Amino acid sequence: MFKKKHPLQSKSEILLRNIVVTAMIVFFLVFLIIPIGIAFVGSFHEWNPLSGTYRFLGMENYKEVFTSSLFGRSMINTLIFSVVVIIFRVGLGLGIAYAIYSPFIKYKSFFRAIYYMPIVTPMVAVAFVWKFMYNPQIGTINHLLGLNINWLMNPKTALLAVMIMTIWKDFGYAVVMYCAGLYSLPSDALEAAKVDGANGRQVFLHIILPLLKPMTLFVVITSIISYVQAYVQILIMTEGGPGTSTYLASYIIYDEAFVKYNFGYASALSFVLFVITAVFTWCSFRVSGSEE
Amino acid sequence: MKKKIYSISLNLVLILLGIITVYPFVWMLSSSFKQNKEIMALEQHLLPQAFIIKNYITMNERFDFMRFFGNSLFITIVVTILVVYTSTICGYVLSKYEFKGKNVLFGFVLSTMMIPWCVTIIPKYSMIQAFGWMDSYKALIIPAMFSGFGIFMMKQHISTLPNEILEAARSDGANEFYIFHKIVFPMARNGISSIAIFQFLWSWEDYLWPYLVINTKEKQLLSVGLKMFNGQYSTDYGALFAATTISIVPVLLIYLFFQKQFIAGIASSAVKG
Amino acid sequence: MKKKIMLIAMVSALSITSLAGCSSESNKKEQTKIDVPTEVFGDTIKYDPNVEVNNGEKVTIELWEWGSDELFESLIAGYTAIHPNVTIKLVNNPWEDYWTKLPLALDGENGPALFNIHNSYHENLINYLAPLDIPIEDLQADFTGVDAHIIDGKVYYIDYGMMTGTVYYNKDMWEAAGLTEADIPKTWDEMREVAKKLTIKNGDQIVQAGLNFNGDFHQNYLLGLNYQLGENIFKEDGTTPNVNSDTMKQIMQMLVDFYEVDGVGSKDFGEKGADSFGQGQSAMVIQWGHFYNTLNTTWSDINFGVFEIPTFDGNPYAYNRYNGESTFGINKNAPKDQQAVAQDFVKYYLANDNVQVAFNLAMSTFPAKKSLANNEEILKNPSLRVLAEHIDRYIWPGPMPETVENSLKRAGEEVFYNGVDIDTAFDEAQATIEKDMKNSSFVSVENLYKYAK
Repeated sequence: MFKKKHPLQSKSEILLRNIVVTAMIVFFLVFLIIPIGIAFVGSFHEWNPLSGTYRFLGMENYKEVFTSSLFGRSMINTLIFSVVVIIFRVGLGLGIAYAIYSPFIKYKSFFRAIYYMPIVTPMVAVAFVWKFMYNPQIGTINHLLGLNINWLMNPKTALLAVMIMTIWKDFGYAVVMYCAGLYSLPSDALEAAKVDGANGRQVFLHIILPLLKPMTLFVVITSIISYVQAYVQILIMTEGGPGTSTYLASYIIYDEAFVKYNFGYASALSFVLFVITAVFTWCSFRVSGSEE
Repeated sequence: MKKKIYSISLNLVLILLGIITVYPFVWMLSSSFKQNKEIMALEQHLLPQAFIIKNYITMNERFDFMRFFGNSLFITIVVTILVVYTSTICGYVLSKYEFKGKNVLFGFVLSTMMIPWCVTIIPKYSMIQAFGWMDSYKALIIPAMFSGFGIFMMKQHISTLPNEILEAARSDGANEFYIFHKIVFPMARNGISSIAIFQFLWSWEDYLWPYLVINTKEKQLLSVGLKMFNGQYSTDYGALFAATTISIVPVLLIYLFFQKQFIAGIASSAVKG
Repeated sequence: MKKKIMLIAMVSALSITSLAGCSSESNKKEQTKIDVPTEVFGDTIKYDPNVEVNNGEKVTIELWEWGSDELFESLIAGYTAIHPNVTIKLVNNPWEDYWTKLPLALDGENGPALFNIHNSYHENLINYLAPLDIPIEDLQADFTGVDAHIIDGKVYYIDYGMMTGTVYYNKDMWEAAGLTEADIPKTWDEMREVAKKLTIKNGDQIVQAGLNFNGDFHQNYLLGLNYQLGENIFKEDGTTPNVNSDTMKQIMQMLVDFYEVDGVGSKDFGEKGADSFGQGQSAMVIQWGHFYNTLNTTWSDINFGVFEIPTFDGNPYAYNRYNGESTFGINKNAPKDQQAVAQDFVKYYLANDNVQVAFNLAMSTFPAKKSLANNEEILKNPSLRVLAEHIDRYIWPGPMPETVENSLKRAGEEVFYNGVDIDTAFDEAQATIEKDMKNSSFVSVENLYKYAK
């Protein structure tokens, strides 16, 4: 069955295959599977490397995860954060990419480069710049909009402010991805549609959008994975505050693991987060009805 | 006429968005020439009132910034080259060869992308300690050699390359190593560019891992160095913005340089996913 | 948060010394000629410069520190002038790196013989420390706060200075509000009245805040004013936190009233009290000693004065919490000859008044050395002068785990910004701290306070 493509497997092919497959397996075993195993076992322990504690706790850590109101709150925040940022990222990315793709725009690579700039800037620095821009007294945003909002310290706006910053930083990624998607569209399908007299909107909705579906899926999934893990912006802009308004799941894990050194509890949190991410990713595959 | 209005308004929208995108950078660049007092002053001006280059000097003198920069460049380039190579070769094997367990292996590679950093970072840290790799570049390079994302992208990309060329080479008696290095590798350059750009960016920006495993200042990387004057604890904004301004240059250059191949590479890897 | 303060203090100390370095270029010739003392000096701890170290043979040791190079260089220069056979290599690491690297270096074979200590990292360092050679009675005779550092009859390091909070006020605003020196408040009630006079509003909008504690109220009010009312941060066992006490809640209520009843400031006006004072938007802030250096470097335009923290009734149990700046640690795993030099160096450091003054001024800390309490140079610094009278009425709880500050900050924010009631917020803080401290070996030293009940 699997010899159909090229039945004559040469010696060198088998050799290359064995080397590559072995290397891959060894690598992922050592740097992924074993660590996951260690973390999984650790999540049932009270584990603090500073004080050298490693004591079996049973389900204690997991019980604490599911009864912690902070973790519950942070999961809701993470959900809101991810959904809103992904919608804007995809929407803006697609819209702008389509505009750049259109014949009306001359300096295509100029715009692409501009929008890509925030992507390559370290989050640490970006978060600081935006923290200044959000400052209620000296910040640019209140000045320009004539508002008087304490963006990062108001529980109604703090998460929103962090989301706006994240959208600003990341929409360029979707722009570039969709540009790539649009350039590789089969031109015959578009030509045929035009010959049939379809207008711009019809072409977009009925031909381009479905053809871009794999790209959308790709952007959405990579986004879910990265936003579920987001914590740097929180660390710098709000430290989870005011109060606990902007706690994200990953920020708690960072805090527990590398500020409080509760490795066991942090591992338990990580596994719960991992399962939730996996479920979401699977859901988006299902929703998109992808055949693969 | 209608077309013209359409064109102008579309251009205007993109320019407006461009301004919003660029403004924080202009602010940062300009702040890097300001004193901290002016950055935090009540009266804000976009341009520095008292233009100073002290930030760029202190940044280097006090934090040995150029050394961090050099270290980062070295590590990022090494890791990027390794990842490009391993991704391409794994991608080749997974897309062009048929063997038992191939789909399981590929499915496994795909699922590695979904594992949050937080799950593995703690045990990985203990392992590096046990291996005696702490404070050495081995700890930065070896655990980063394979990338699930890279393998996935390259598998998708290489499967779009026509089989006929490979078969022709095979029937000419070329062995697989020759085919991979001399035929597949050059043909996959678009995919390689996109992986290279992604990987370069990730390695360049990675903060937590180098922070944990590198202790000697002389070996430290830029992303961690940035945190030194900015981090959680300090307020030297001028030097931070100066350092950031310089640190984004290489990544931006890489992008501008490979932009065409990057986009073509993504197109062939992701769209067909 | 402690770390943050320290770093700010260090950065400002550094900038001061580097500024001083620029202006004193012409004095350099004088500086290179160091007076080598020939007489024995010191109070109870005496240093005899005529006794050779290491039998006069050459020896090199390392001294690790974070922050201000010049301060340490001058200390080293003074010592090596007496003992030319000793070379001390200064190794500077940025604050954050320092604490990752130092324990690792001490764990290895070639750790530094001498290193700077900060008490927030006490638990990570204590196992590597050699006890001081100096008799405890001598240390107690010369320095305050030694008792809190005695572990099983041994002392490994002590504090050279104490940092705490004082009120900084903007003199120009003070005058503009028609206030004089005589109006300097002694009690919180008077403070409220003054703050009201210093507040300027345009309709409902605050233009100038009378008092601003945004961003640091937990540190400068919640963890300190409790002592004025005779309540400790930890319960009698020394390990159970006591942050949901009625006293703590009363203080929080007072802060809320300042903003919401008196309207002398706002949670939304001036994101950080300290910056807002520097920007000339807020008339008064309570800040710790490091702020004096910040004002002189970053905010040099502000014409400011300092007064002692007000009290509730003029007769507090203690005025405020303080935190110590520590003397050097000696590596117990270093070679014997290096350790001997390190011990001698610490003795020199403790006996030498000029060095003690220089270190305290660089950090804006009040000297722990008793004979320096009335030192002229120290009293020239207004943030230290106001502490002089009641300095024995400040209390140190010990190196508290970070969760105490962080949890109170969160509780205060819940109250100010999220409309949570004080009881709920502080009960939650209490629970969080208890949970986080489950494995901590911390024991409060509040019972060692001189006037402890």
